[in-house]
Formats: sequence, C-alpha cells, structure tokens
Amino acid sequence: MTLGVIVEFIINTLSLGSLYALISLGLVFVFGIMQLVNFAYGEYIMVSAYVLYGLGVFTDLPWPLVFLAAVLTGAIIGFVSEVVAFRPFRGRSLDALLVTSFALSVILQDTVQLSISPRSKAPPFPDFFNQNVTLFGIVTPLRSYLMIGTTVLLLVGLSLLMRGTVLGIAMRGASENFTTARLMGVPANLVISTAFVISGLLAGIVAIFWTARSGAVEPLMGSAPLLVGFIAVVIGGMHSLVGAVVGGFAYAAVANVLSLTLPTSLLSFRDAFMFVIVIMFLVLRPEGLIRGSYAEERVG
Amino acid sequence: MSEPVLDVRDIHVAYGAVKALDGVSLHVLEGELVSLCGVNGAGKSTVLKAIAGVLKPVSGQILLAGQQIAGKVPEQVHRLGVSLVPEGREIFPSLTVAENLRIAAFGTYKAARFAADLEDVFGLFPILKERYRQPGGLLSGGEQQMLAIARGLMSHPTLLMLDEPSLGLSPNMVDSIFELIENLKGRGMTILLVEQNAERALQLADRAYLLSTGRLAFGGRPEEMGDLVDIASVYLGTHGEGSKP
Amino acid sequence: MSILTWLKKYSTIPILCCLLLAGAGFVWWFNDTLLEDIFTISCVTLTMVMGFQMFMGNSGILSWSYVGFVGIGAFTSAICSMSPQVKRMQIPVMYDVLAQISMPFWLALLVGALVAALIAAIVAWPLMRLSDAVGIITQFALLIVIYVILLQWQQVTNGPRTFTLGGVKSTTLWIAALVATAAIVVAYLFKESSLGLRLRASRDDRFAASASGINVVAVRYFSYIASAAVGGLAGGLWSHYMLSITAKSFYLIEVFTILTMLVIGGTMSVSGAFFGWLGVTVARQGLRQGELALTQQGFDAYGITEIVLGILMILFLVWRPTGVSKGRELTFDTIADLATRITSRSTRSNDKKGKPWSRSKQPKPSTPSPPTSPQPPVSSKASSST
Repeated sequence: MTLGVIVEFIINTLSLGSLYALISLGLVFVFGIMQLVNFAYGEYIMVSAYVLYGLGVFTDLPWPLVFLAAVLTGAIIGFVSEVVAFRPFRGRSLDALLVTSFALSVILQDTVQLSISPRSKAPPFPDFFNQNVTLFGIVTPLRSYLMIGTTVLLLVGLSLLMRGTVLGIAMRGASENFTTARLMGVPANLVISTAFVISGLLAGIVAIFWTARSGAVEPLMGSAPLLVGFIAVVIGGMHSLVGAVVGGFAYAAVANVLSLTLPTSLLSFRDAFMFVIVIMFLVLRPEGLIRGSYAEERVG
Repeated sequence: MSEPVLDVRDIHVAYGAVKALDGVSLHVLEGELVSLCGVNGAGKSTVLKAIAGVLKPVSGQILLAGQQIAGKVPEQVHRLGVSLVPEGREIFPSLTVAENLRIAAFGTYKAARFAADLEDVFGLFPILKERYRQPGGLLSGGEQQMLAIARGLMSHPTLLMLDEPSLGLSPNMVDSIFELIENLKGRGMTILLVEQNAERALQLADRAYLLSTGRLAFGGRPEEMGDLVDIASVYLGTHGEGSKP
Repeated sequence: MSILTWLKKYSTIPILCCLLLAGAGFVWWFNDTLLEDIFTISCVTLTMVMGFQMFMGNSGILSWSYVGFVGIGAFTSAICSMSPQVKRMQIPVMYDVLAQISMPFWLALLVGALVAALIAAIVAWPLMRLSDAVGIITQFALLIVIYVILLQWQQVTNGPRTFTLGGVKSTTLWIAALVATAAIVVAYLFKESSLGLRLRASRDDRFAASASGINVVAVRYFSYIASAAVGGLAGGLWSHYMLSITAKSFYLIEVFTILTMLVIGGTMSVSGAFFGWLGVTVARQGLRQGELALTQQGFDAYGITEIVLGILMILFLVWRPTGVSKGRELTFDTIADLATRITSRSTRSNDKKGKPWSRSKQPKPSTPSPPTSPQPPVSSKASSST
C-alpha cells in the first residue's frame, strides 16, 4: 500500500466521518433526553434538502441565504414535530413515541412526494463546492474540507454550549436523570424543545453536505442518513454525545475499510455486514464504545 | 398562628391501581422542622414526591403559603420555593460538582448571587470546594449527600424537603448529616424531614407525623409520639403491611 | 370439556372465523374479479397481521424483523414451487441445488414457513435478551440485514431485479381465506396457551415475570419462532398470489401497513388485530379509489392513503392507545351484551355505558381511574413524569 492510498483513506475517512458524526449527534441529542429513536430524523434532512433545492432553483437568493434557510428549516421542523407529534405522548410508553416517529416519517415522505414529485431533483450548488483541490498529492473536492471544517466548528460550538451555559449543563443533567433535573427547576419543555431544535439544526447542515455528495434530492432520501446514524450511534454509545462523534468516525473508517477489502461480489452486502456489527454491539456491548452515564428511566 | 408554609389537605395518591396515600393531611409552619416517620412503604417518599410535583394526587389540596400547588409540574413547584433532596441523592454523576450546583440555580441564576451562594455552601461543606471540578460520580456516598443537600439549598427554598438523608452512610457521616440539619434549622430554614432513623429525627424535630400504610397514624409533638402511640405496633405493621410498588 | 363449554370459552374463534368465511362466501358468490382480487390479497395480509400480533401483541416488543421473515417465506416457497426449467430461464445464476428443487404448492408453503421459523430460531436467541430501546433498534437492524441479503443475493432471489414465478396464481380466494382462518385460530390459541400466557406476563412486567420463574428469554424465543412461521406462511401466499416479488415489498412500507392495522385495532387482542385489519383494509381501498379518481382528473394524488393512515394512527395513539378493542376480545357474551344494550337503548336512551366488548381478563375495578395515562398500546412500562 502506498503512502498516497493511506493519505487518501485518511482524508476520506475524516470527511465522511465528519458527516456521519453530525448525523449521529442529531439522533443522540433527542435519544439522550427522551430515549426516543427518532425515525423522522431522516425526514428532517430530506425536507431541509428540498428547501435547498427549491430556493436554489426557483429564486435568485445568494447561496449563504439558501443554506441558512435550509438549516433553519431543519430546526423549525424539529421544533414543530416535537410540539405537535411528540408532546402529547409525554410520559407515555416508549413504543407509542416510536410508532409516532415512524408514522411521522411516512407522512413527511408522502407529503413531499405528493406535493412536489416522487422523482429525484438536482439542487444547484455554488461552484467552489465541487471544485477539486490537491492536498498532500490527493485530489479531493473542496466540500470534503468544508465538511471537516464545519464539523470542527460545530463540535467546538456545541461543547461550549453544553459545558459553558446553564442550559447546556441542564440538558446534560436531564439526559442523565430527567426527573431530578426537573426537581432542580429545569423546565422539561425547554430542554426537550432545545434538543429537537439542535437535532433539526444538525439535520439541516447534514442536508447541505449530504446533498452535495449525492447531487440529488428525493422523497425517500432520508432513510440512508438515518441508517448511518443508527449504526454510528450504536457503535459509539447511545448515551453519550462524545460517543456519537466517535461512532460517526468509527463507522466511516469501518465502511471505508470494508469498501477497500471486500471483494466486489460481497460489496453490495456492505450494509448487511454493518448491521450485523450493529446487532453484535447491541447484544454484547449495548453501551457502545463510550459509556455515558444515565439513570434507567424514560420521559417523553 | 401564622399561615403554614406548607399545608397538605387530604391527599390521595395511587400508582396505577395501587393506592399509596389514602387521605394524608399535614402542615409545616415557618421555621419548623417537621419529621415524617413510618416504615418502608408507608408512603413517606410518596408524600414528598406529591408535594414536589413528581406525582399527581388523585384528589386533595397542597397549599404552599396559601397557594394551590397540587397538579403543578416539578419545575413550577421548585420555582415557588420547594426544594426536594431526593432519596438516594440522585446527583448527576458525569457532571462536575460545580455543574451540579449550577443546575440547581437554573431558574434563579444571577452571577453575583451565585458566587455568594457558593461561598455560603462551601462554608457548610468545605469538602465540596476541594472537589469542585470533579465529576459528582467520583464522590463518596457522604460527599454525594452533601452535594445533594447543597444543591437543594442553591435556590433559596422556602421549604426544604429531605428524603432519607442518612440512608446508606457510615455512622460518622450520619452524625455530620444530622449536625448539618440542626445547623440549617438554627438558621431558620423550614424543613420537612423523612428519615428511617426515627430516633435521631425525633430528637431534632419540632413536630412529627407518623405514617402507616398510606394513612396518618399520629401527628404532634415528638415526645408525645413515643408516649401516646405504641410505635412498635405501627412499625411492625400490625395495621397491615404496606406495599410499595 | 364439552363442545359447548369449549365454544363458550373460545367463542372469539368461531365469531371471527365465521365473519371471515362469510365474507369469502359472499365474494365467491358475487363473482367479481376485482373484488375477489382485493379479498384474496387482504386475506394474505390478515394472515400476516395475525402472525405479527402473536409476537408483538403478546410480548410488547415491536418486532420490525417480522416482515423480513414474511419475505423469507415468500422467496423460499416461490423457489420451492417453481419448476426447474422456469427457474433456469428466469434466474440463470441461481444455485443448482435450488434450481433443481420442485414440489407442489402446499408443500412449498409449508417449507417457506419452516425455513422462516428455522432462520428465526438460528438468529433470535441473543436478541430476545434485549428490551426497550436497545431491543427495538436490534429488531430494526435485523430487518435491514434480512432486507439487504434478500435484495442482493442474486443466486437466490434474483437480486434487486424482480423475481417472477410465472404460471397461474396458486393462492386462490378459498386457499387464502382458509389459511387466514387457520391463522386466526393459531393466533388465538397461542394467546391462550401456556406459552402465550407467560409471554403476556413478561410483557406486563418482565421483572415480576422472571421473578415468578418464567424464563423470559426462552418464552420470547419460542413465541418469536412461532410468529415467524406464520409470517413465512403469509409470505408463501403472497408470492403465489403476486407471481412477481422483490425484496422491496418486505420492508418499511409493509411494516407500516401492518403496524397501522395492529395499532388502530389494538395490539393486545386477536379481535383487535382482526378489526384493525378490516377497518384499515376498507379505508385503504376507499382512499385508493379516491387517489385514482383524483389522478384521473390530472391531480397526482398518490400517497394520500399513507398520509391519512399515518395521521389516523397517531390520533389513535394519542386518544385511544389501546386501539378500538382496548385489548379485549369479541365473544358471544359481548355480542349478547351488545344486543341487550341496543334494545334497551331504544327505551332508555340515556344509558351511556354501552361497551360492546367484554374483557378477557378480570373486570375493570370500579376505583377512580388513576392519574397516569391509560394502558399504553404495546408496552405496559409507563413512566410517571408529567
């Protein structure tokens, strides 16, 4: 193996891992607080991507505004879905919440399919996004580095929020022990809404980079990032934000290794391999690589 | 007689089909230390949880300084001045001592006041100052209990409720916890204390209530409690064994 | 036990079976191709729902993977029943061993069910230890594993391309109706069996159940296998009705379909599953007709059905979390009760207690209802906050 292959592998893993880390962070923010595996998360990404497409094609808005609108859409849909669909289930069974998120996912898919089109569309991106740059002798599109840079900034920002502000501290406390956090005066609605807004913001950012990679938006596009998020979250640890990030990078590394080593005839089974790994993690080490501390209870 | 800080009137609480409290009434006056005794499963913690808003009573009134709080959610009750130090301490293990204290000032945070409160708390619990940057989960049981009580004080409660503060602690630590409670009482704090160690609790209490299988068996001066009621019979559950769900 | 007492105890079975067979008889007499098509495929779905209810309803575990076993049954039975020549023509890459197999339809159905059960038996044991969020994600992951394998294993399933059986529909109206009837009987007897009882105990409180000497993992394991077998059977009916299948048919959309039926009807009883199936099937047909009518007028309405059903399911979860049936079964007693109530209602119209269902368990205590929410639909582990 030449040095070039190794460098390429590292850059690929870092950029893909950044994307995956953001995806799984978005899932874990909600899961940590409510123990809810939010099946509609992929649809937050999908709807944001459609805003990207709609504003990019039908308006002359400058691209920073288009991106901003896409990200805000993610946050808004996260917030609204919590208030409308999940809040009525506060304190009810986990399965009711889960089934609701699944139903919400189907509803959003079909609504977009119905109101726009079941066929895939290509959103425009600014030219520099797909420009190739050569670094360490490796040719990569610029968006890979943008992805890494955005993720680093976001991780710094989020850790400042979670460690430096009382809201962030309260959210961490609430994800460990929700009832006690409320006893200390932390409002349940505020914490849960914030979790959904952050989750939606991350979904909006993911939408930009995911769509830039795939080059297309379609109503069912949310399921792929959702599955990525599941895998990364399970590998990393479902109760830890750090674990989500680690899981994202770990998944990217494993996926890249599998792509390089699996014979072509087995490559199409890659997802099956990944999910077998997921099942083994869940059976043998349900807490993931990074064990978060939390009390066995659920709210929601 | 002034209006009681806390006035619980005939509350009924159930866990599903299981009745936990069957018409309990009690009150706490300002500056009083009231002790709530009873065997395991008598419903002591349930009373505190109902007051704090964790459990919603089926019926009955809970008045805080004359204001109805039954049915309010825990964060509202906390904001109105009730602080519950829960059984088993329930500190946030991965949060540092500093962060644990910071959370408790969630609704009332002001930088200057927070600093003053911290100094105050460090005066009561010097050990917390040493451990300030450590995760709560690394503290010893006694230190965790101190942190839990300190956390309860950060919001300047008008009523402090302590649920089994001496549970699972070493004898030395039990002594210092009771010393601390006495200290708080001396400062004029209004306290509702639930304690397994009835003897120690009754020594400190101004008044006491005895709970048996979800009903009040006695209410009055602590020394009368020993005289008038055959505590043993209540404690040994001849009134029927209570079941804790 | 005499026939009469047996009938009284298990009266749900004859009621549901008679309803279904009467429906089949009517459709057969009416002799309309479209209606017969709809009824036949609906019976396949009913078989599927019954198998789904067996595990999910009684264990409280949302078994995503169930639909995967339906797919396994569908492909297995199709491979078994097709003639070697057709297989070589349709799927040239198929393994020789598989291509040479040839057996009659009914045997192929059984083999499909058996293979589904066998695969469930191989993979399920470690998964049955998991509950709550971890258990659900595991089930979901297993569905994806099965889906990807079915979708990609060219030598067995023809890969992502459509798998065409050729020939005539072996799944006729009466076969589908009879198998569905059998599925109702199996699901009900399973629920009332010792295994089903222990499974329900583990659903209500798995700690208390294991403290009472129930091996929760083993109980779940055998129930899961039984459920997978019924699912495999339904899959066989499916493939021999559709005559062309792909792995995509046995994925999330199908989970959504049977989940709406179970949630709306009420997961915890066989009657609930039956009436959920009936209601959603009728609603689906109506909505599909609406979609078609709108589409013909130039307005592309494809998808409205799923949106409406999704919203309906959420509304049910909010307002009636135990579904239409509230976890009860329809019995002779309830029908008699209902009849009396209807006749008495005409005289005393203020009788508001009309509840046409009897509880299969103990009657509801008349104590004031607890402050917590009513019984959740699929799991009884409710938490106490807000």
